[in-house]
Amino acid sequence: MNGENLAKARELLRHFPHESSALIPILHLVEQEFEYIPDAEVHVIADLMGITAAYVESVLTFYSLFHRQPTGKYLIQVCRGLSCQLMGADELSSFLYEGLGVQRNGTTPDGMFTVEAVECVALCKNAPAVQINLEFYPNMTREKLEAFLDKAREEVPTDA
Amino acid sequence: MPETRLLFKDIDVPGIDRIDVYGQHGGYQSLRKAVLDMTPEAVLAEVMASNLRGRGGAGFPTGRKWSFLPKDGRTRYLVCNADESEPGTCKDQEIIYRHPHLLIEGVAASAYAIGAEHAFIYLRGEFKVGYQILERAIAEARGKGYLGDDVLGSGRRIDITLYLGAGAYICGEETALLNSLEGKRGHPRLKPPFPAMVGLYGMPTVVNNVETLSAVVPILAMGGAAYARLGTEKSTGTKLFSVSGPVRNPGNFEVELGKVTLRELVFDLAGGPLEGREIKGIIPGGSSVPILPPEKLDVALDYEALAAAGTMLGSGGVIVLDDRSCVVKSTLRLMEFYRHESCGFCTPCREGTVWLGQVLERIEAGLGQANDLDLLRSLSRNIEGRTFCPLGEAAIAVLQSGLETYRDEYQAHIDQGRCPLGEAAR
Ligand SMILES: Cc1cc2nc3c(=O)[nH]c(=O)nc-3n(C[C@H](O)[C@H](O)[C@H](O)COP(=O)(O)O)c2cc1C
Ligand code: SF4
Ligand code: FES
Repeated sequence: MNGENLAKARELLRHFPHESSALIPILHLVEQEFEYIPDAEVHVIADLMGITAAYVESVLTFYSLFHRQPTGKYLIQVCRGLSCQLMGADELSSFLYEGLGVQRNGTTPDGMFTVEAVECVALCKNAPAVQINLEFYPNMTREKLEAFLDKAREEVPTDA
Repeated sequence: MPETRLLFKDIDVPGIDRIDVYGQHGGYQSLRKAVLDMTPEAVLAEVMASNLRGRGGAGFPTGRKWSFLPKDGRTRYLVCNADESEPGTCKDQEIIYRHPHLLIEGVAASAYAIGAEHAFIYLRGEFKVGYQILERAIAEARGKGYLGDDVLGSGRRIDITLYLGAGAYICGEETALLNSLEGKRGHPRLKPPFPAMVGLYGMPTVVNNVETLSAVVPILAMGGAAYARLGTEKSTGTKLFSVSGPVRNPGNFEVELGKVTLRELVFDLAGGPLEGREIKGIIPGGSSVPILPPEKLDVALDYEALAAAGTMLGSGGVIVLDDRSCVVKSTLRLMEFYRHESCGFCTPCREGTVWLGQVLERIEAGLGQANDLDLLRSLSRNIEGRTFCPLGEAAIAVLQSGLETYRDEYQAHIDQGRCPLGEAAR
């Protein structure tokens, strides 16, 4: 963790009535900084909290928002919940898989995009729903996704 | 058929997520009344009188749940369940994202009633933006003295801590939620002891849903007895229903319980099926309840009537299937969900959802075998009543009911070796 996050992590240890509650918030800090949870950080957290790395690992692997492999700059999560499936979610995910040349949960070689098919994200009335870096994109269409991808690519110079 | 808006009365007011606007529309009057003019027991009495039932799925009477807390002087906690992960349900999300002060006021007033100084809101990890919205709203409320060490000069301390989960449906189950809040894997706990006795950090704890705690605000404003006059005798007040799937006007609708039928909700409020389509079936209470065929849509929306119709009100997530929706494919999709979300603690659920998924996969792929429907039935029976928590039972609700109602559609997949709806099926 960088210095700022380490300081935040130390604060989190005192934020809850019991220190144990800080584990998941600290994992969120790490996931945010690295876009996944690197092995080395599992040990940093274990030392910080005085617990074993195996325990940290057992907790983090229970939760699907923590990644053990690097993810892209943009984490695109297509909801495949039933309401979204009924409204054409499959077409959205195939479009992304084909257009970006990735498989489910895959990341593009340039590290820009990760595409996941996730369970209901509680935006069923705006199906099909997508989350990008955990922001809601309601009533998604192929066109809107295309526009998003174009814009994201423009913002980052290709040699980056 | 109009809505009856108590929770959503001001939801369309621009800026209602800011404390000033919320205040101009009567916001925090219920908390003020509770903390300054009423004893905690009097607040509990109003909630008892309202007959409010938990809106998280099980429908347990809220006042009764609060009254189970032991009077032994131990620290008590209130935990708001904002995990909302039941497929088809997106009502709590709308409260959190658009009407955060309603929830904060409800949590604070409820914490006062049960004698908790410290309340938690456990949000599903995907509600990261909702977390930020609530964070800002809580800071505003502290600034106005509605939260903090001395709420409105009453000498009472009430504060709210936010907690962001990390993606696990099972953490909506209250004891799994408590484990997760303690920094553990989200496995459910054995009950009893119930959270009222041994909850968060081993202390007496009340867990309530977002909508339940929000409803405490109008209950205190209008009085429990007036709230109880809405709805039916056993299903009082209003309830939010999320209507999703192929309808013209999907959305969240607040209606008086028992006064509106499922047909009225779906046709009048949600606009009915898409152009040229017909409704094939409706799952009325989130994905964990039995599916209803079109013949049963005149059922009233209340706990008792839906139970009598063979299903449940559940979370109020109404998922509509039309004639282009394949029942097998939809059921498979749900089974994949439960298979993925099974916490793995007990065998019938962990293994059963895998086996059921495999059989459904082959039927959907046109490779179903002659005895597969019987196999589905017997696998389901081996889950029914044999799991540690209700997730196992939830996983087979649509399957078991659908095998009866849509038997021909299942059989056609096996006989024809493909989906009878063809390529366009969803
Ligand atoms: C698998 C499972 C998932 C659940 N998910 C939720 C949920 O997301 N939100 C919720 O409020 N209750 C959920 N519940 C119900 C809770 O266990 C609990 O009954 C509820 O939070 C109590 O609040 P209430 O009395 O206000 O409804 C779930 C239950 C089970 C078994
Ligand atoms: S029924 Fe499923 S989710 Fe519940 S405890 Fe057993 S394995 Fe876990
Ligand atoms: S099913 Fe996609 S948001 Fe609920």
